[in-house]
Amino acid sequence: MANQRSRTHFGYRTVESGQKAGLVREVFDSVASRYDLMNDLMSLGIHRLWKRIAVELAAVRAGQRILDLASGTGDLADRFADLVGPEGLVLMTDINAAMLDVGRDRMVDRGHAGNLAYAQVDAEKLPLPENAIDVVTIAFGLRNVTAKEQALAEMFRVLRPGGRALVLEFSKPVNKPLEKIYDLYSFGILPHLGRLVAKDAESYRYLAESIRMHPDQETLRGMMEQAGFERCDVHNLTGGIVAVHRGFKL
Amino acid sequence: MTLRDLTLEGLEQSLNRVLMLDPEACRRLAELHGRVIRIDLRGTGVQLNFAPGHDGRLQIVGGPELVPDCALSGSPIDLLRASDHDSGHAQLFAGRVHIDGDTGVAQRFSDTLARIDIDWEEQLAKLTGDIAAHEIARRARMLGRSGERLGQSARDNLSEYLTEEVRLLPHRFAVDDFLEDVDQLRDAVDRLEARIALLEQRKAGEQA
Repeated sequence: MANQRSRTHFGYRTVESGQKAGLVREVFDSVASRYDLMNDLMSLGIHRLWKRIAVELAAVRAGQRILDLASGTGDLADRFADLVGPEGLVLMTDINAAMLDVGRDRMVDRGHAGNLAYAQVDAEKLPLPENAIDVVTIAFGLRNVTAKEQALAEMFRVLRPGGRALVLEFSKPVNKPLEKIYDLYSFGILPHLGRLVAKDAESYRYLAESIRMHPDQETLRGMMEQAGFERCDVHNLTGGIVAVHRGFKL
Repeated sequence: MTLRDLTLEGLEQSLNRVLMLDPEACRRLAELHGRVIRIDLRGTGVQLNFAPGHDGRLQIVGGPELVPDCALSGSPIDLLRASDHDSGHAQLFAGRVHIDGDTGVAQRFSDTLARIDIDWEEQLAKLTGDIAAHEIARRARMLGRSGERLGQSARDNLSEYLTEEVRLLPHRFAVDDFLEDVDQLRDAVDRLEARIALLEQRKAGEQA
């Protein structure tokens, strides 16, 4: 298991496993207030389409219980809360208190009440019983988790039989020219954008590096199967820059 | 990611922008929070699922995996006609539009969308303040009314020219007289037919 290893990566750096969560927290504390603006700028607004596709693949129904890990500012939770109806429940979670605060304020501003709950949760240790959740999602969060295998195992544990997990995450572009342009953008332009808008180039350099260190499509699919998920499929979006991995607990 | 997703996103945003201008429509749609209404555009292969949210905003979700509460299917033209309040029921009973599932939900959903009524004066007031908005709206209404009057008088003049001046079309009274004559003739033929039948019957009786 990854959490038993003593060292892990933080972007391109190698750090003590115990340190990674703290370093990730510093990154997100720094970017929380301008997170949405930066997402729009960085992805040219395409992140909305990626999330829309993830929501479609989640096929959430009225009355279901949804666990959204690493919710951030709640783009997915916002849509899920409308789909589960007043009888359903969306549990919006994040390990980072600053991000969760921003997300909770945003959900309250959008008028959500009654079917949305908030909790500061570590994806590696979910405070939920087994077989409690119909759909579990993590969008652009898994790469920041220290022990990814542990998080996937936890996601599997809390799912009800028949439930599904979705991982929306940056992945590996499937063609070379796109990869070149993407690299140029990530390391040439992104940190400058970060410096200009969020006044923090380092955090955005970390984001770009952490994307490169994240397992590619096939590796992540293998990790999901290892965690117990079945019928796993991968949906490449924007030429594989982002991918949705989906697996079922049968 | 395809053009379809981009289109859905655009459609959803535009539709919600219009909806937000009619708070009453939003309130009615919010009552359907958690329901899914599928519209199946027959002949195009397009299926759209509409999911009203807590505030009446609609999410448009593609894909066949979602289980709808009700589904409306028909060709795009038939569905558009069905949204018209006067001829809508005729479309339904003629079998051109099908409803599966909870018909109550389908009815409330389509009624709400067909009756979207935007209070432009209220929207304008947000930009210009109440007094200016009221004045602009009053003038717009006056302009609308004089336009209507102008249209009506143009219609009257044209019909007078065609019937009285160049006599290309018969006058309405002449048409009424003609239709009356046709009715009388038809009645007379009916009476004659009945009389002949009676005479034939009588003749057959005498021969026997």
